[in-house]
Amino acid sequence: MKFDIIIIGGGLAGATAGVELLKKGRKCCIVSEGLSLHHTPMDEYLALGGTLLPGDSVIVGIWEEHRLKAVLTRNLGNTPLEADTFLLCTGKFFSKGLKATMDSIVEPIFGADVEFDPCRDRWYDSDFHAPQPFERFGVKTDAEGRVLIAGAPCENLIAAGEILAGEIDIIKSAKDVCRTLI
Amino acid sequence: MQDTNISQNNFEQCLKCSLCTTVCPMMAANPHYPGPKQAGPDGERYRLKDPGFYDLTLKYCLNCKRCEVACPSGVRVGDIIQASRLKYGRLSRPLRDITLASTDFVGSLAVPFAPIVNGALSLPIVKIAMDAILKVDRHRTFPSYSRRKFTDIFEKDLPSQEGYKRYVSYFHGCYVNYNYPQLGVDFVTLMNACGYGVRLLDREKCCGVALISNGLGKQASENAAVNMASMRKALDGGSEAVLTSSSTCTFTMRDEYDHLLGIPNEDIRPHLMLAVKFIYDRIESGQISLAFKEMPGRLAYHTPCHMQKLGWTVYSTELLKMIPGLDLQILPQECCGISGTFGFKKENYPYSQKIGAKLFEAIRDSGAAAVITDCETCKWQIEMSSGYRVYNPITVLLNALDLEKTKMLNAE
Repeated sequence: MKFDIIIIGGGLAGATAGVELLKKGRKCCIVSEGLSLHHTPMDEYLALGGTLLPGDSVIVGIWEEHRLKAVLTRNLGNTPLEADTFLLCTGKFFSKGLKATMDSIVEPIFGADVEFDPCRDRWYDSDFHAPQPFERFGVKTDAEGRVLIAGAPCENLIAAGEILAGEIDIIKSAKDVCRTLI
Repeated sequence: MQDTNISQNNFEQCLKCSLCTTVCPMMAANPHYPGPKQAGPDGERYRLKDPGFYDLTLKYCLNCKRCEVACPSGVRVGDIIQASRLKYGRLSRPLRDITLASTDFVGSLAVPFAPIVNGALSLPIVKIAMDAILKVDRHRTFPSYSRRKFTDIFEKDLPSQEGYKRYVSYFHGCYVNYNYPQLGVDFVTLMNACGYGVRLLDREKCCGVALISNGLGKQASENAAVNMASMRKALDGGSEAVLTSSSTCTFTMRDEYDHLLGIPNEDIRPHLMLAVKFIYDRIESGQISLAFKEMPGRLAYHTPCHMQKLGWTVYSTELLKMIPGLDLQILPQECCGISGTFGFKKENYPYSQKIGAKLFEAIRDSGAAAVITDCETCKWQIEMSSGYRVYNPITVLLNALDLEKTKMLNAE
């Protein structure tokens, strides 16, 4: 199944990006494991005719060198989802965009490089109300937002929203990424 | 560590975010139903300590699985509820539930007397009697029975299936066999045009969905064992896949057999699918080509809840989008409310109609000439409640095909 852009993650970032891209005439597909409470952008996305795979998740990417050719999902099985560009908008820990192990933080779908403090003791602040360092962990990208894997940028896998490292304005991040794509 | 402390339906993974409760159609219509979070993962903790905590309002769960689609943590909320109904639900079943659930048995009895049965089931006096005695709601329109079974038509009337290079097996299901064999005929015609011969399974039993939802787990397991054995044999015998035309049968056999009945199906699962998925995949890989005629007009597609759970709506909609001239409206995913036998029961009928109201309104607003859907019980509910005709995607595709040209494209 071929789209212009496949958006992995149907939360605030993914749905916002989807709306922006559909308005520019791009054929989009959002793969969303679990639904988001952000109904407004998703309702708009669906009303504009965007394709949604609800309750589905990307299992693996099919690569050609540093270019992501297609992804396979749990529900579609052997039907590859192909696109020119892929957006990674899977968020942080709650939505499983990032996964904490005993000694590292990983991005579970593509194994993207993640910025985090190697010393686990510094992941938390014992003051519950203080800003928590782990909230700023996220995937590494180059200046154009392309995801880094083993230090090298992927040609067509771009991250947006909360999955990014640092302090993120989700909607702005999604819209900025769309501007570079249009 | 994490892999060994998770139970079969993983209720431990529930974070109590309550997203499931925002999509539960029953919770919005019925204040007596505690909702998927409480009925599922929350209640499970108590039931494991003491089965006395089993809550009878769990009977209101439609098993639509919208909670599972919504869950960001992958908890099998609906499975937890259905499994506890099978485990703790009371053992004696009213005659009505057994009759409604025994689709194979009742279908076999009804087909030889179809004109009489159909006539009787539409008489107001019979409806009132069934309402009073059996508690089957008098407002419900019964699907009519066919004069002949699909299996009979397949053997006697359809063109010979010999001489094809490629074969698929067809799980027709109770609805095609007893109520609407034309869909089975359409399926065979379509597959033949695609260059595939069709075989029936040696033995086919009802998928068991109605048995499961009426608490008859033992009978459902017996059916499951027969179906899996027949499918294994069909696949060993050279069929490329076992295809279906009903989303709920497919979902039940692919997921519920393993999750609820403990019947292993891992070897069958990758080869058991709706015909729309098979055809779409074969078109993409260049093994099937379809030649269409122009089919102007607007039709609306309704996503059945189990189709959404399968995640396969795109196969039907992408295939339908290939039809030149067709203006395909995709309706917002709402539950139609019938949930198989649920909506036939007198005590559930008002909830059933209340749940479906949003969908019926969306259909009327769509400006479509008719509705397309992959589920037969959605079809009954929509036809009865909105007045619109409902077709399976296979029938629509077949009607849009240039049959002779398609046959030529797929002839080897």
